[in-house]
Amino acid sequence: MKQKITFKRLQDIPPVAISMGMMLWNKTGTWRYLRPKYTVKTPPCNEACPAGNDIEGFMALVTEGKLQEAWELIKEENPFPGVCGRVCFHPCESSCNRREYDEALSIQAVERLIADSHFKMKRQKHPPKLQRKERIAVIGSGPAGLTCSYHLARMGYGVTVFESYSSPGGILRIGIPEYRLSKSVLDHEISEIQSWGVEIKTNAHIGKDVAFEDLKKYRAIFIATGAHRSRSLNIEGERLEGVVAGLEFLRRIHMGEKVTPGERVVVIGGGNVAVDVARSAWRLGAKKIQMVCLESKDRMPAFPEDIAETEAEGILVLPSAMPLRITPDLGKVKKLEFIRAKLGEPKPDGSLNPIPIPGTEFSLEADSVITAIGEVPDLSFLPEDVSIKKGFIEADEMGFVHPEGYFGGGDAIHPYHTVAGAIGSGKRAALAIHEYLQGGWSREKFRIIQVGQKGTISVKKYFHPPEGETNPPVVLFKDIKTDYFEHQPRVGISKLSIDERVNSFREIHSGLGQEEAKEEANRCFNCGVCNGCDNCWIYCPDLAVKRKNDRYEIDYDYCKGCGICFEECPRSAILLEEEGR
Amino acid sequence: MKTVIEGSHAVSYGVMLSRVQVIAAYPITPQTHIVERLSELCASGELPARFLKVESEHSAMASCIGASAVGARAFTASSSQGIALMHELLHWASGARLPIVMANVNRALAAPWNIWCDQIDSLSQRDTGWLQFYCESSQEALDTVLQSFKISERVLLPSMVVLDAFYLSHTYEPVDIPDRERVDKFLPPYEPKFKIDPKDPKSFSSMTAPDIFTEMRYQMQQSMEQAKSVILEVDEEYQRLFGRGYRMIEAYRCEDAEVVLVTTGTVTSTSREVIDHYREEGKAIGLLKIRTFRPFPSEDVRKKLKGISKIAVIDRNISFGVGGIFAEELRSALCNEDERPMVFSFIAGLGGRDITQETIANVIEYTLEQDQPKEDILWPDLKR
Amino acid sequence: MGKGKGFPEEEYMMSGHLACSGCGATIGMRYALKALGKDTVIVLPASCWSIIAGAFPYSSLKVPVYHVAFETAASSATGVKAGLEMIGDSTTTVLAWAGDGGTFDIGLQALSGAAERNEDFIYVCYDNEAYMNTGVQRSSATPFRTWTTTTPTHQTKEEAKKNIMEIMAAHQIPYAATASVAYPEDFFNKVRRAKGIVGFKFIHILSTCPPGWRLPTHLSVRAARLAVLSRIFPLYEIEYGERYTINLKPEFHSVREYLTLQGRFSHLADSEIEVIQQNVEKAWERLVKKAC
Repeated sequence: MKQKITFKRLQDIPPVAISMGMMLWNKTGTWRYLRPKYTVKTPPCNEACPAGNDIEGFMALVTEGKLQEAWELIKEENPFPGVCGRVCFHPCESSCNRREYDEALSIQAVERLIADSHFKMKRQKHPPKLQRKERIAVIGSGPAGLTCSYHLARMGYGVTVFESYSSPGGILRIGIPEYRLSKSVLDHEISEIQSWGVEIKTNAHIGKDVAFEDLKKYRAIFIATGAHRSRSLNIEGERLEGVVAGLEFLRRIHMGEKVTPGERVVVIGGGNVAVDVARSAWRLGAKKIQMVCLESKDRMPAFPEDIAETEAEGILVLPSAMPLRITPDLGKVKKLEFIRAKLGEPKPDGSLNPIPIPGTEFSLEADSVITAIGEVPDLSFLPEDVSIKKGFIEADEMGFVHPEGYFGGGDAIHPYHTVAGAIGSGKRAALAIHEYLQGGWSREKFRIIQVGQKGTISVKKYFHPPEGETNPPVVLFKDIKTDYFEHQPRVGISKLSIDERVNSFREIHSGLGQEEAKEEANRCFNCGVCNGCDNCWIYCPDLAVKRKNDRYEIDYDYCKGCGICFEECPRSAILLEEEGR
Repeated sequence: MKTVIEGSHAVSYGVMLSRVQVIAAYPITPQTHIVERLSELCASGELPARFLKVESEHSAMASCIGASAVGARAFTASSSQGIALMHELLHWASGARLPIVMANVNRALAAPWNIWCDQIDSLSQRDTGWLQFYCESSQEALDTVLQSFKISERVLLPSMVVLDAFYLSHTYEPVDIPDRERVDKFLPPYEPKFKIDPKDPKSFSSMTAPDIFTEMRYQMQQSMEQAKSVILEVDEEYQRLFGRGYRMIEAYRCEDAEVVLVTTGTVTSTSREVIDHYREEGKAIGLLKIRTFRPFPSEDVRKKLKGISKIAVIDRNISFGVGGIFAEELRSALCNEDERPMVFSFIAGLGGRDITQETIANVIEYTLEQDQPKEDILWPDLKR
Repeated sequence: MGKGKGFPEEEYMMSGHLACSGCGATIGMRYALKALGKDTVIVLPASCWSIIAGAFPYSSLKVPVYHVAFETAASSATGVKAGLEMIGDSTTTVLAWAGDGGTFDIGLQALSGAAERNEDFIYVCYDNEAYMNTGVQRSSATPFRTWTTTTPTHQTKEEAKKNIMEIMAAHQIPYAATASVAYPEDFFNKVRRAKGIVGFKFIHILSTCPPGWRLPTHLSVRAARLAVLSRIFPLYEIEYGERYTINLKPEFHSVREYLTLQGRFSHLADSEIEVIQQNVEKAWERLVKKAC
C-alpha cells in the first residue's frame, strides 16, 4: 500500500495501535544530496592494448563460458586473436591492476584460448550488410594491411591487397618463427579475413609486378609495407660469405629453404629479430650461439620474457659490446672483433651512441654471422608526391597521408615494431579511409573513439557511440576494493622443456584449457565495468538497488544517497554525483 | 466442590478453572502460595499451561504481555515491590489493550521492609488503566478471578484481583470450587480481535503521533466506563450460574444510617460484625463495601449515599500529602452533589496492623460525635 | 555470478523506512528476515529499530512486529513464544531484535533469565556500540576510549567493551555467534542455523551507525568489514559455552585504519592506538586458544 492513511473520524481509529499500511508512501529519495549512478570506466588493459581489444569484455564472457561470444567481441576490433594470443608483448598484462594485488591476469593466454577454441569450428562466409561501390587498394598483407582490409570489408568496401611475397602475412609469415606462431594459426586467421570478401594478390610487388599507376583506379590506397630492409653494420667484412641479415635468414627458413647456420653462430643485435634469429639458429643445429648487442642487458629492446627463453635455450647474451670488424678465412667468415662500450646520449637522429671502453677488445669465432640491428621501411616504390620524413611515410594519428587519398600504417609510418601496434594502426586507417570516402573527418570523431589516453581506438565506439561519457577515466588500482578478492596466483602455462625444443620448431607454449581459462578469467577485477556481482544490491540499506536483466538500476524514489553502493562496488563502476535540485 | 482452602489457593483454582494458558510469575511473600499451587497444578497436568519461572516481576509482566498479544490467556500474581517493579508495564498492558489478569496480594512497600497487609501497592497503580477488584473473602477471590477474565476480554483492559496479605491470602475459609463444565459455559476460550498473526502481519504499538494519541486514550477511557455495565452484566450472569454475585459496591444495613462506614478488603468482614452490634443497640450505622476501585463506581456510590450525612472511610493506605486514597476518590465522586455526606477519613491498619473491632468502633464513635472531622486525615490506631 | 543469488528472493523489509542514510542495522534486519522467512514474529524493544520500523499506522516490515518496553526484549519474547505454543503454533519463529543498550545494560537481566531457562527463540543484538536512538550516549558495549555524548573527548570511556559473548557462553546456551553487517552471507547462515536449533540462540551483530560513529555514510559497510579484518570484532560461534569455532582468521591488519576512519576515535593519540592494538591482539590470542 503506497498511500498515506488519514483518520477523519473517531470510529476510524482502531483501539489498538495496529498498523494498517506500509511505509512505501515515504519517498526517502528526498533526503538525498548525493546521487549514485552506474557508470562504465575504462579498464587499464583496454587502454593499453594497441590493437584496441575489449579485454575486460572478453574476460567477462570467458567467466560465463561464452567462448564464441568472446571471440566475436575480439573480432569486432582485432582480426588476429590467435596471433596476438601467441606473439604480443602484452602491454595489457603490464598495466593490469591485478599485478599490484598479486599477479597480472594471463590475458594473452586467455586470448589464445578463445582463438584456438574457435579454430575447431566451421568457418562461415559473411556477407556484409552493405555493399559499397568504392574499392580500396592495400599494399602489404602484414598485420597493418590485413587489419585495415578486414575492417574496410566489414564496412562493405571492396578491398584488394597487394602482397609482394608468395604468401600473405608480412612479418607474421616471414619474421616470426614457427615456435612462437604456428603458421596454421596464421593461415586460419588470414582466411577468416578473406571470408569477408578481401582479395589478396600474392607475388604482386608494387613497382615490379604491378605499376603504382595501376592503383590509381582505387578510391583510396593504404600503404602498409612494413619495415623489411635490414640496417647495415657498416663494418669491415660485412659482405663476406656467411654474413646474412636477420630478416633474410628468417625469411629463408619460413619459405621452406634449407638453412644451415653451422655450429658457431654470432648474432649481432639485441631486439626481437635478433632473439628470433638466435633461437631459430639453435633449432637448426647451431651448438654455440652468442648474441652480442650494443645495449646493456636491461635496455635490450627484445621482450624480457624472450630474452629469458633465449638464455634458457643455452644462447649466450653478451650485452654492451660493439662490433669492430669481421675477419675472414678462405673468403668465409671466421672471426669477429668486438669492444665493450657504454651507451652515451643518443645521436641527434635518434640512433644509438656507443662509447667504446679502451682496452676491452675481445673476439669470437663464428661459422655464420647474422645481423639484426634494426629494420627500416623500403619506400622506393612510392611516387614522389607521397610525403616521407626521416625514412617513414609521413602520416597523422589516424593514418592520413599527403596527398589526398593515400593512407599509411604499421612499421611503414612509425617504428611500432609490434604486431599490436600495427593492428591498431591498420584499424585507425580503415576508419580514416571510411571517413574520407563518406566526405567528413573531424578531430572530434577521433577524440570520441579513444579508449583511455594512450592512443588506442575502438571501432565499436565509432559505430555505436556510448551514451554519456565517451572516454571515461581509467580505473587505477587504488579504485579497486581488494577486500572482495582472494589472493590467487595466475594460472601456470606449460612450456616445452629445453630437450623437447632442440631441433624442433614446435610451438613452445601450450595453450590453456577451457576450465583453466575460466578460472583465470575469474581473477579479473573487471575494472570499471559492472559484472553483476550483486554487491550494490546486497548492501543497499534502503532496497533502492533493483535488479534489472542481469544488471541493476537505482530506484531514486527511495535512494537516500548514502553511497554504500559506490564504496562497495569492487570495481569502481558506480559514480556519486551531487544531487541537482 | 466445597472445601476449606487458603485464600491464595482459591486464586490458584480460579486460575486453573479459567484455563489460563501462560503463567509468568516471580515469587514474593505473600503471593508465593498462589504460584506454588499453580506450579503443582501445571506439573500434574490439571492445568495444562506454560509456567514461565521468570527472573523478576518486570519480566513476568513482559512475558504476560507477549503471551496475551499472541492470543493466549495470561495470568500473573505479585505484591508490593513486585507490582511496583511492574509499574511501567502495567501502563503498557492496558495501553496495548491486553486482557491480562493479575492477582495482587496487598502488601506494604519498603522502605523500611514490611511484608504485611497494606493497600498502597495496588493503589499506587490506580492510574495504570487496570480494573481493580478488592476481595473480602476467599470465595470472592476465586469468583472474581473467573469474572475478571470475562470482563477483561470484553473491554480489552487488564484486571487486578486484590487480596489482603495474610488476612486473606494465608487464612483458610470454606470455598465452593465450581465445576469445570459450568465454568466453561461461563468463560469460553479467548478469541482476540487483535492479535499477532504471521498470516496477517501487523505492527503493534509503533510511535503514535499527537494527532491520534488523544483518541486512543479516549477510547480507553470509554472502555473503562463501559466496564461498569460489563462488570454488572457478568456478575449477574455469574450469580445466575453459580449463585453468587458481588456487584461493584455493597450496601449493608445502610437504610437511614447516620453514619456509613466505608471499607474495602477483609476489614469489611470485621466491620459487618461491628455494624450488627451497633444495630442491635439501636444505632443507625451502615456499611458500604467498595469492591470495584477501577472503574470507580461513582454513580452507584452517589446513589447509595444520597441522604447520608456522614461517612467514615477506613483506608489501609496513605497517599502522602493528601491522605487516604479511597476517601479521596469518594470525595471526588461526591463533590458536585447538592446533598453530600461529610467525609471522615481514617488511616488504619498500615503495614499489617490489625484493624480490630475496637478500632472500628472508635472510628464510628468519633464520627458520631463530631459534626465534621477535626483534621483531614485521622489516625485512630496511632500510638500517641 | 552474483553472490546475491545465494539468498532467497523475497524481501520482508520495504523501502521508505526511517533509518538514517547508511544505517547498518537495516542491512542486518534484511538478511535476518531473508533467513527466517515470513513465519516470524519480531519482538522489538526501544532502540533505533523502534523508529525505523515506521510510525503508526504504518510498518516497514512484512512480518508481525511487536513493540515492547526497553528492557523486555527477552522477557516479552519468552511470553510470545510460550503463547504461540499454547495456542497450537510451534513452528513460528520468535525473533527478539534488540540494540546494545537493550541487551548489554537495561535488558541484561531479562536476557540472562531467558538464556538460563533456555527459552526457545532467537535473540539478535544489533550492536552500534552506544545508545544511538537517544543521541549517542555510552553503553557498556561502547569500546575502550570511544567518544560518545556522555564520554566526551576529555573523558572518553575508560572501561573495555563488555564481553556479551562470554556472558552468553557462561549460560551454556546451545548457540551463540557474532556477525557483522559487512558479511551478510555469514549472518544469514548463522540465523538459518539458529532457526534449526531448539533452545536459546544469541547472535551479536556489529552494526555501523554513521552518525554515531561520526563516519561518512558511504564507509558504513567498510567500517563493519574492517572491524572484522582487524580482529576487533572477530566472527565466531560458541556452542553450549564450550565449543568455539572461529569463522574467519584474517591476516594481520592494523587497527589504525579502522580507528582513523571514524570521527568517534579522532581524539586518539598514537600511544592509545598502540594500547588498543595490544588489547585486540591479546583478546584474539585468548579466542584462538579457546577455539583449539
